[in-house]
Amino acid sequence: MSKHLKVALVDDDIPNTEVLRDFLIRNGYSHVDKYHDGESFVESLDRFDERAVVLDFDLSGGGEMNGLEVLEAIRERSPSTHVIFFSGQDSLEVAVEALKNGADDYIVKSNAAFALVKTSLDKVYDIQILRTNEKRSQRMSLLFAVLWMASMAAAAFFATS
Amino acid sequence: MEIIERLSAGDPEKKKYYIKLFLDTLEPELVNLKNADVSAEQEPIRAILHKLKSQVQTIGARDAHAAMADQEQRIKGGGRIDQSELDETCRLLSDLIENLQELLK
Repeated sequence: MSKHLKVALVDDDIPNTEVLRDFLIRNGYSHVDKYHDGESFVESLDRFDERAVVLDFDLSGGGEMNGLEVLEAIRERSPSTHVIFFSGQDSLEVAVEALKNGADDYIVKSNAAFALVKTSLDKVYDIQILRTNEKRSQRMSLLFAVLWMASMAAAAFFATS
Repeated sequence: MEIIERLSAGDPEKKKYYIKLFLDTLEPELVNLKNADVSAEQEPIRAILHKLKSQVQTIGARDAHAAMADQEQRIKGGGRIDQSELDETCRLLSDLIENLQELLK
């Protein structure tokens, strides 16, 4: 089943990003973009419609910005985007800093990391589906209420005429 | 190699594509590590180890990953590594590259 959730991978590690992208595509995420530096991703934020970003902390192989600076730009311009910090830094301070600055999840690069990224994205996808269903349900309730009021008005009109 | 095996799903060309992708990074960085001067500032060595660590882990080279993670952590914590440790990491990386090159044949 294709999961309609746009995902951006921001990581200067080219081979691992390619493998992760293919892994996510294999697991149903049909739209996965890659960025190998923070600057090009932040530039893309103006036309940004991704709903989830998998963001490396150390982007020094790609550009000047680090993951925390990219996170700050995302929070300013696209606050509802789900940000998963994906880092080789097995450091509590970095994790705390990332979460304090608005990251939604923090995953340390390890053997199980790709599966953990998928699990985190699955949660975002499930929430997106729930919200869509909720909106649809609200629209249906509103439509039903309007129809009910219209039918009551029509009944009153015919009763008085 | 488990993830690469799984993603290439028996397609030898796809498998070679992934191996080539990793070799494109590992080979030049091995040269950089071999040329690194342990008596100087070790931050450039730490940055290379950090970069390579995740890649060798994905490939499944546990010994190389453990050595790199340990040395990166030590430099990051203000310590230093010596030439013999760096030589050992280079040897592990060199073996890994040779194995990957064999798979390309």
